[in-house]
Amino acid sequence: MTEAPAKMTATVVAEFAERREAVNSLKRRYLRQDFIAAAVLLAIALLTPTLPIVKGWMLSQASLVIIYVIAAMGVAILVGYTGLVSVGHGGFLAIGAYTSALLTKHFGVDMIIGMIAAMFVSAFIGALLALVFLRLSGAFMAIGTLGFAFFVGTIVNNVPLFEGRDGILLDDNVILGIKIGDFGFYYTSIISLALITLFVYCVVNSGTGRAFMALRDSENAAMASGVNRLLYRVLAFTISAGITGIAGALNAHIVNYVSAEVYADIWYSVDILMAVVVGGAAILIGPYLGGFFVVMLPFFFEQLADFSFILKGVVLIIVLRFAPAGIGEILLRPFQIARSRKLRAAAGSKVD
Amino acid sequence: MDEYLRCQDILVSFGGVVACNKLSLTVPRGKIVGLIGPNGAGKTTLFNALTRFQSYDSGNVYYEGRPVDNRKPHHMVHMGMARTFQNINLFRDQTTLQNIMTGAHSLMGDPFSAMYWLPAARRREHEIKERAIEIAEMLSLTTELENEVGNLPYGYQKRVELARALASKPSILLLDEPVAGCNDDETRELKELVFKVNREMGVSILLVEHDMSMVMQVCDYIYVINFGANLAEGIPDEVRANPEVIAAYLGVEDDE
Repeated sequence: MTEAPAKMTATVVAEFAERREAVNSLKRRYLRQDFIAAAVLLAIALLTPTLPIVKGWMLSQASLVIIYVIAAMGVAILVGYTGLVSVGHGGFLAIGAYTSALLTKHFGVDMIIGMIAAMFVSAFIGALLALVFLRLSGAFMAIGTLGFAFFVGTIVNNVPLFEGRDGILLDDNVILGIKIGDFGFYYTSIISLALITLFVYCVVNSGTGRAFMALRDSENAAMASGVNRLLYRVLAFTISAGITGIAGALNAHIVNYVSAEVYADIWYSVDILMAVVVGGAAILIGPYLGGFFVVMLPFFFEQLADFSFILKGVVLIIVLRFAPAGIGEILLRPFQIARSRKLRAAAGSKVD
Repeated sequence: MDEYLRCQDILVSFGGVVACNKLSLTVPRGKIVGLIGPNGAGKTTLFNALTRFQSYDSGNVYYEGRPVDNRKPHHMVHMGMARTFQNINLFRDQTTLQNIMTGAHSLMGDPFSAMYWLPAARRREHEIKERAIEIAEMLSLTTELENEVGNLPYGYQKRVELARALASKPSILLLDEPVAGCNDDETRELKELVFKVNREMGVSILLVEHDMSMVMQVCDYIYVINFGANLAEGIPDEVRANPEVIAAYLGVEDDE
């Protein structure tokens, strides 16, 4: 008689514990499964152009997804792993775009050189800005970065070098003296994304990434562990800006045109941040899913025109309510639960 | 040199409240020193000043004879000083192993070779992991290595924090109320651990604690402070017999 209720209680407790564990694992790293999932998504992206339904301008739409994924990767380092919020990464996108555009236009350099230069310029400016922003905390820092995005917008609108709203028209994209065309551009983006994903994986699975996450989870404990708060935050900001700068360069070359009309707007900043939040900030596949979402949602709901913004907002709210760690986290949760089950079983057998 | 850590005339005030009024103490090499006092005596403030978490208006802190007044908290860890907190400060969503490995941050080397996975950095990473597992074994945390610390019982969390502090290979360890809120069993365990860390690893310890029986048993020397000022000091038996200390702790009878 007494055994049944006890057993039932035990089941309920176990179930509750499991659910709690799943919730608690929001911010944790999924290591291998996450990396494999990212690799699978990359493989899908690699094969996309060979699908019969993908033709013409859809390829450049696919390239746009990749660009957003790269930009979101940059933001994820900051938001997901270091716990700092930036609403102004559109500024770094613009810096990357104009750096590469001006270099290829006026000096006729290779697109690859343009991208690398974009990365360094963006990272450098990111490092300088970090020293300012990191004196602010929480929401104030977010507002500061928003100010930065407006600042960049005003500069490109008014400084003659950037040719304002007329914009700068670029020649065809050239790598190693060969015109690359749409296919070439797509695969250049994919290779960049693959390298960046690998880099981000290495960063977050090293002592450096551990220091980032330490600062995110408890500043006091991080400092008591010897983490130099300023150094690691500036480093995270620099890496983040550099990666988004690469996305900016690609964004300039995808349409061979940069103009203040596009880059003075803060929508880029908002979209990139939304991609990270929807996909999942502290997992590798988060930016992949989020980038796809942000670019393809207006595409799928073309008839809605500007109302797709509302749809984006609704999705964002739903995600924040039911999957605060992002869609990617839900996809990886089964692996997580299986793992904790295995751990518990192992612990149980030890007790027996 | 027999003194490891020394502070002289530390003065900390918050607005009009003087939390530490010219406090001084010395922690000799290889000893366990206790710091006691009633609630609000300024123990934790002094503790934070020593670890550079708290800035002070005047006074000096010396580490191995050198002044460290301009150092940041993370410098202190790299110099060999580790600390724990009164209310547990851990990375709750990370596993025990990750927590302990973060504690070994000062052994990691520069962030650049670490994030590019250079061979030397990977070797160090491997050493850090082995060290973390060793410490977990010493503190009987092996079964919890893959569990998130936020889910662990209180006593375990206290031990994880101690493990995190030990991971940095400290030569002096500052423990802020390590047994506060622990039951008798947990207290006994932690007491043994403190002994073990001191005797076997040769780590000097400064202990802030309310639990008098623990302080009297483990400490070689005790400082008593009250209302932010040094009240008494001496070996445990002297302190126990000191009438001023008894008055501060139990109150004096008023003659009406």
